[in-house]
Amino acid sequence: MTAPPLLALELRKDYPMNGETVHALRGVSLRVDRGDYVAIAGPSGSGKSTLLQLLGGIDTPSAGTVEILGTRLDTLSDGELTRLRLTRLGFIFQRFHLLPVLTARENVELPMAEAGVRRGERHARARELLDYVGLGHRTGHRATQLSGGEMQRVAIARALANRPAVLLADEPTGELDAATGQGILALFQRLNADGTTLVVVTHDDRLAAEAGRVVHMLDGVIRD
Amino acid sequence: MTGITWGFKSLARQPLRTALSLAGIAVAAAMLLDMVMLSGGIDKSFSDLLLRRGFQMRLTPKGTLPFDTEATMAGASGIVAALRRDPAVAAAGAVLGTSLYGRTGDSLVTLFGYGIEPEAQSLYQLTAGLDLTPADTGGVLLSEPAARLLGASVGDTVTLVGRLDPQVVTAAVGRSLVVRGMVRWIYDYRGQPSVGTVLPVMQRLARQATDRASLILVKAGDDAAVPALADRVRRQFPQVEVNSVADLVAHFRERLVYFRQLSYILGSMSLVVTVLLIATLLTITVNERLGEIATLRAIGVSRATVVGQVFAEGTALTVVGAALGILLGLVTARRLDAILTSFPGLPAAFSFFVPRADTLTFAALVLLGTGALAGLYPAWLASRAPIAATLRAEAT
Repeated sequence: MTAPPLLALELRKDYPMNGETVHALRGVSLRVDRGDYVAIAGPSGSGKSTLLQLLGGIDTPSAGTVEILGTRLDTLSDGELTRLRLTRLGFIFQRFHLLPVLTARENVELPMAEAGVRRGERHARARELLDYVGLGHRTGHRATQLSGGEMQRVAIARALANRPAVLLADEPTGELDAATGQGILALFQRLNADGTTLVVVTHDDRLAAEAGRVVHMLDGVIRD
Repeated sequence: MTGITWGFKSLARQPLRTALSLAGIAVAAAMLLDMVMLSGGIDKSFSDLLLRRGFQMRLTPKGTLPFDTEATMAGASGIVAALRRDPAVAAAGAVLGTSLYGRTGDSLVTLFGYGIEPEAQSLYQLTAGLDLTPADTGGVLLSEPAARLLGASVGDTVTLVGRLDPQVVTAAVGRSLVVRGMVRWIYDYRGQPSVGTVLPVMQRLARQATDRASLILVKAGDDAAVPALADRVRRQFPQVEVNSVADLVAHFRERLVYFRQLSYILGSMSLVVTVLLIATLLTITVNERLGEIATLRAIGVSRATVVGQVFAEGTALTVVGAALGILLGLVTARRLDAILTSFPGLPAAFSFFVPRADTLTFAALVLLGTGALAGLYPAWLASRAPIAATLRAEAT
């Protein structure tokens, strides 16, 4: 039996704020299998973004464990964890976080360059990914020359660059208007249909409704 | 596309700020280069000047340096003869330096006169006409300023008059001489009107006893033999001062020690300014881009790449700033040199700022090291940016 792409057990996250301890997560467990499309929904402050950061290994839990393809993140050094994020996970942020001085193609190539993919191969893959997200005609445009929806599509292409096991998205439609957001939803559906495992944090009901499974969070715990 | 390329491109994001920073670094680099050139240039220039004609030793009256006073040595011809017999000596010649006058119509103009032995001279370079021969008691060599004052050129006859001494009743000695050639006197200050005759003629004009000289120049056959030769000559002629070029450079260095100190202080200050400029700029840009850096770290870009990016920016700034600074430094050095060498008493051929490959290399390496040092804190800041907290802050 192969390990699931993502497995979280009894995650807790506490952090100090104004002299008091905030319990952002209070014992969250989640299993995501290959090909799943999971939406984590809940109001602001429910802990869903914190959960995503722990799942993605960009923050460490106060207690509990996260496994990516059977590898416990707490056993990894900083360098190994960084490498795992690079090669096994793909991140999509609410505010896109593209590098404004780079073109769409260069933004997509960045994780591949970091992973040591050869120039010719990463050129070809970046073009293929930008075609996939519908931006084949915008490869040479800088991030600042793109619309919000286009920037998010480039961010999705970047997240897919190293063929991750799981795609983690934090409020991917949060900065987009309804029509543009709808396009992103359709793209996520297509990604999932093509075999990509998706975990999406959202308070967008439409986006949650598109997912195969919805996890509702409130006050740092999963309600259902 | 790598993090380093991203670093270079990031500099273009704020072109005005980058340009201003580059200007600041260039000015600091120019100052550093000038100060490095100044600290080593004086010695180098002075040494080159003294060795221009290959004479490595100077004998002067006891307790003096060449042309430092009007003192003269007795028995110069005997010393020169003895030196010429030494197998280690390739050439030796006496020089007398004195003030004298040149007659132009009814008036006199002040000149400086060199009495030389043409067969062993190291004081001038012929620029026009003919050189003197040892037996030429009717000829004279002029510098351009002297020729202008006397209104004379090659082939003309000029009248030189010995210095008038109010305590001496007899009239000053005068002598008409034919201008054989135009020369550039190596140790003259800018605009100095100098003339040269064979030694006996100048001794008579100066009312000096026939066997007195201000200076004896010695050329050794082998540079390596100079220290031993100098020791031998010191023992042989204890009544005179014997200085090798190295000794003279050391004396000169002592006299101009304040230039060296000044160069160290200003050079250090320019380095500090460079560090502060680069560190400030990089710290500002890193702080502005913490969100980007956190994003890169989140998507798996290593700390090393992020650090490399910051260092790449610092290095790019330093390299471009240093290149501009070297050009600026060379231009300002020429200007400063022109000002400093116009001070009275300094040979015009002397240079305070000497551009040398090793000087330029040293300045460039120091600047690169400075750029790297300046990038340390911003790079550390960038590599330690807390990913989750920064992304949370960016999202609010």
